[in-house]
Amino acid sequence: MTSVRALLIGAAAVALTAGPGMAVPAVAQEIAIGAVLPLSGVNATIGEDQRRGITLALEEINAEGGVLGQPFSVIIEDSGGRAQTAIDAATKLVTVDQAPIVIGEYSSGNTLPMGQYLVQQGVPHINPASTSGQIRDIGETSFSVVGLDNVSTAFAAQDVLDQGWNSVAVFAMNNAFGQGVAEEFAEHFTALGGEITTSLLYNTGQSTYRRELQQLAAGTPDAIVYTAYGTEGAIINQEAFELGLQDEFPFYSILMTMMNSDTEAQFKVGQIGMDVGYIGGNGGSYRDAYMAEYGEDLLSAYGGYAHDAVLLAAAAIERAGSTDSQAILAALAELGVEGFEGATGTINFDEERQRTEQPYLKFITDGDDLAVREE
Amino acid sequence: MLQFAADVLVRAVDLALIAIALSAVYSLIRFPNVAVVQYSVVGAFLAIAMQGAGVPLLLAGAIACLVVAALAVFFNMAIFERILKIGSANALIASLALSMILSAIFLVAFGSQPTRLDLPVSRAINLFGARLTVNQIYSVVMTVVAIGLYALVLFQTPLGRQMRATATNAELAQATGIDTRRITNIVVAISGVLAAIGGISLAVKGAVSIEFGTNMLLPVFAAAILGGLGNSMGALAGALVIAVAETLVTNVNFGPLAGQSFFYLPANYATTVSFIVLVAVLLFRPRGLFVSGVNRV
Repeated sequence: MTSVRALLIGAAAVALTAGPGMAVPAVAQEIAIGAVLPLSGVNATIGEDQRRGITLALEEINAEGGVLGQPFSVIIEDSGGRAQTAIDAATKLVTVDQAPIVIGEYSSGNTLPMGQYLVQQGVPHINPASTSGQIRDIGETSFSVVGLDNVSTAFAAQDVLDQGWNSVAVFAMNNAFGQGVAEEFAEHFTALGGEITTSLLYNTGQSTYRRELQQLAAGTPDAIVYTAYGTEGAIINQEAFELGLQDEFPFYSILMTMMNSDTEAQFKVGQIGMDVGYIGGNGGSYRDAYMAEYGEDLLSAYGGYAHDAVLLAAAAIERAGSTDSQAILAALAELGVEGFEGATGTINFDEERQRTEQPYLKFITDGDDLAVREE
Repeated sequence: MLQFAADVLVRAVDLALIAIALSAVYSLIRFPNVAVVQYSVVGAFLAIAMQGAGVPLLLAGAIACLVVAALAVFFNMAIFERILKIGSANALIASLALSMILSAIFLVAFGSQPTRLDLPVSRAINLFGARLTVNQIYSVVMTVVAIGLYALVLFQTPLGRQMRATATNAELAQATGIDTRRITNIVVAISGVLAAIGGISLAVKGAVSIEFGTNMLLPVFAAAILGGLGNSMGALAGALVIAVAETLVTNVNFGPLAGQSFFYLPANYATTVSFIVLVAVLLFRPRGLFVSGVNRV
């Protein structure tokens, strides 16, 4: 018995050590990086948009001969919108697929722990969507192709002041993203001479926000500045309408495309806000390719950023001349200094590897849809 | 001030029916059946689903109440009657487990996103300075009528007398010829109906999600214990006290104390208050605010 067991263990050990080695010839055929996206769960629509952006980027790259003369591909894993699943997916991409770069996720709460895992492994990470200020602290091997909340809230603060609203109440969800938005907006708004009457953080997943809305109204601000995810935004806007608050105060939405599709037209009449821009310098061709491939307009702003993350990853590997992580990190830093042209405009990194400038759009509701405000 | 009163009323209405249902069941089956809170969510979800399938709202509500009543009796006979023979603590755990199972079923059947009844949404009515929506008023009326009918049955009918007799002393009631098992199941069914109406009245006002039961558990329990578990009309008073406490926390401007013009405690602290009230009552008046001749707990 004992000898049989020893044999089995020995065979298993051989199989284990041989495993990665045997996988190498297959992988060497093409260069594959990894991506973790919320393909299911609350943010599934955004995840699908990101997947489309990645697909289009791959078509562009491979049409031009791939990377280092090899076909280029992205192994996509579903995070389910959960932090633990995102980490598990990244672990699989790093240990099994040996992906030289991992792109992901969407919400800051998932990108943070996943990015921290990748930094510990020394694997380059590209954040294509999360804007929490805490993303800045993920670590040495983490880059963002989307501007963080310090950039977006500065834009929003100026936009709100331009409306003549000098004192506002701020309403954001109680998580890494919402806290970041509330703090950074207040900082920029007061620096520009505005005044914050009340700043409230709400817990996500509630069935009613009446209490919070009444607290906001008590401060009699000029306007209420808020940010909300899809269905929560729908409840907040409906209750604000029911309470008559929308008649008393204008509402301003930060990252407006997050909530817009879920909120009924009658509860957001005339509401204004801002979001990250869909397209920059070379964005026109991306949008054309998207509409030709999928037969509809861009689902969100975030597909373009995922698209650019893939282009940037391919360019970095090409420049590095190998899939060695140190060489890729150096190449990413160089590209960030020179400025990399993507569908969302020129991508430049600051010394903490975060995008310095990016396009934003001002919106106003137009029935169910959003129209761009030209001011 | 009127807004304060309106907020208290609306919140008390949230809690009252479910707390009364919990208390009514406790009066006969001596363990706090946590699942009663989930029965209200079942009622709300059923009504929403049926309305979505094209059933008129009133009919959908009535069917939901009957289904929940039947479910409550089924669970009582299939699970709780048996486990109670082992001990009331076991039954409490079983009711917790049942709550979790129901929660999981909601997740599969209705998803994790909040859903709502399809009702016209209109602007709030300004009643002497207090904002109340039409749907809130509907929900208050529904609750008041339901409690009124329940009180009528309890205090004015032979059935109610049998219910009270069984609650006071089951053995004695049985000796006088009351079928206590039947009475118990009738009370369980009535509690199911009350809980379902409570859930539907909540759905009338806003969205319902699978976390609803969990969020309601603590304040409902606090209200029922405050009123003296088993004293179903006491639960009504308990609901009012909890509503006042919660509204004080969320509606009072603590700005002057904090040296700012406006400072409100986060609205989610409201639940903490019901917890504090619960602990305080258990420490100082473990049988609830209303002393009664019958040893209830």
